[in-house]
Amino acid sequence: SMATFEAEVGRRQAENDQLPRALANIDEQIVCDQLTDELPDNFLEQFNQLLDRPLEQVLHLLPAHQVAQMRLVSRRFNHLIRKCSKTMPKKEHNGSISFKSYDIGEVSAELLDDRGRGITKTTLTGNKGALSELLRFIRIGGKMYFSHGLSAVDEVLDQLCKAWLTIRPEVVIFSGDLSQTSRKSLKAFLVNVEPSIRRLHFQEAYNIPHNLLSDDLIGAAGWLDGLIVLPMGRGSNLPNFNITDKSLLTMADADLGSSYFCVMGCSGITPGCIRAFIQKWMKKEKPKAGANSTGYRYGDKWDRCTLAFYKCANVTPAAVEESCGDLFKKK
Amino acid sequence: MIQLCSNDDPPVSFTVPRKAVELSKTIKTMLEDLEGFDMEQTPIPLPNVDAPTLELIVKWVEQHQDDPPPVEKPRVEDDDSDDSDADDDQEPEVVIPEWDKKFLPTDDEQKNQLFKLLNAANYLEIKPLLDIGCKYVADKISGQTVEWVRDYLNMENDYTPEEEAKLKEEIAWAEGL
Repeated sequence: SMATFEAEVGRRQAENDQLPRALANIDEQIVCDQLTDELPDNFLEQFNQLLDRPLEQVLHLLPAHQVAQMRLVSRRFNHLIRKCSKTMPKKEHNGSISFKSYDIGEVSAELLDDRGRGITKTTLTGNKGALSELLRFIRIGGKMYFSHGLSAVDEVLDQLCKAWLTIRPEVVIFSGDLSQTSRKSLKAFLVNVEPSIRRLHFQEAYNIPHNLLSDDLIGAAGWLDGLIVLPMGRGSNLPNFNITDKSLLTMADADLGSSYFCVMGCSGITPGCIRAFIQKWMKKEKPKAGANSTGYRYGDKWDRCTLAFYKCANVTPAAVEESCGDLFKKK
Repeated sequence: MIQLCSNDDPPVSFTVPRKAVELSKTIKTMLEDLEGFDMEQTPIPLPNVDAPTLELIVKWVEQHQDDPPPVEKPRVEDDDSDDSDADDDQEPEVVIPEWDKKFLPTDDEQKNQLFKLLNAANYLEIKPLLDIGCKYVADKISGQTVEWVRDYLNMENDYTPEEEAKLKEEIAWAEGL
């Protein structure tokens, strides 16, 4: 009937009238959602300033030497640059960085160029600032030394593990007092530098706790092509390090033809494993010296492998001769 | 065609081809979420964009609607807890095309309009526009002094003299690199 038809038209009309209002509400919610999620409370007063994300993008495009300077612009700049420091452009330092410490709670950091000449040096004490702040806008490559005194205590290593730092050394050398270095902090540090580290030295280090060095700790540094464990004080109190055949064989799988494995006080190394290492190494394809370099790397020839064992109970000249003599004669 | 409304009172409305307006990821997502509704009859309010800025946005998206889509890369959320290896992941260098060089409001008296445009591009998620605008601003402030940057970006020095001195000392350490 006409009445039913008119009622149906009225109902449809009412529905149609409601739709745009409902839709506008949905639009408003969606758009406003972005407002509350991404924009600061005083957004409307800040039209003449760039918001954080565009500003962050601008900062990423600046030259590295200017980014740290820009922290002086305002607190907001400083906060933003620090917040994004992991990905901000950083100054490259591919020489060396050396840490020294003569007193607990004090550490000096010195940057040296690739010829070993000092560039800049500072001493940090407990209240003067943190190491991780000092290195926030520098990309550390090259060599890293922990020398003189308690330079590798947990507090220093923990600072160097802060997520916003870019620590990418190729060589790490510990040559100080390791009496206050724990396995946990040392392992975390090695995991942190694992993508870049190729050579790890505990050279002339002293007061090494007997349980500090082991296969799993060395393994945390990943594929190494150079390992030195030659502590200072090689007398009767030399600890027996739990570095075994496992670490030696892992090194045989490293990418580079050149390598060295020089250890002291590791009774877990056996002549049989030395033989296996040599066999593996001899089969490896050696990079051609001088092909695109001088043929040297860190002072070693590309194609050289050095194995040295001091005071390792199972590695005597006679035992090595018996196990590996035929290989050397062949060579 | 899609209608976009500015935040002015009364709002100013712009009619834009759907293809062009979809260069805004924010609007594209909204349109996809509202699939089935007749969006051509429903103006989309943009509460964060005024009419002069929206006019620029419309001009830019109409000019670039036939451009190939930008390569999408997940945004690295960068804070102190992030331990991703982002330092090895370089963004390709941004080059500002000739048309865009003329389009960007780059006169000094227009700088606030430029900032509004970049804020709007950020809000509407128009990445290529944000990229070229940020590149322009970065080139502009590159090599300039802290004071100059403050003035250009409408910022005030809100440090105390002590804070500023301490920060300068921290920064100075790596100056020689």
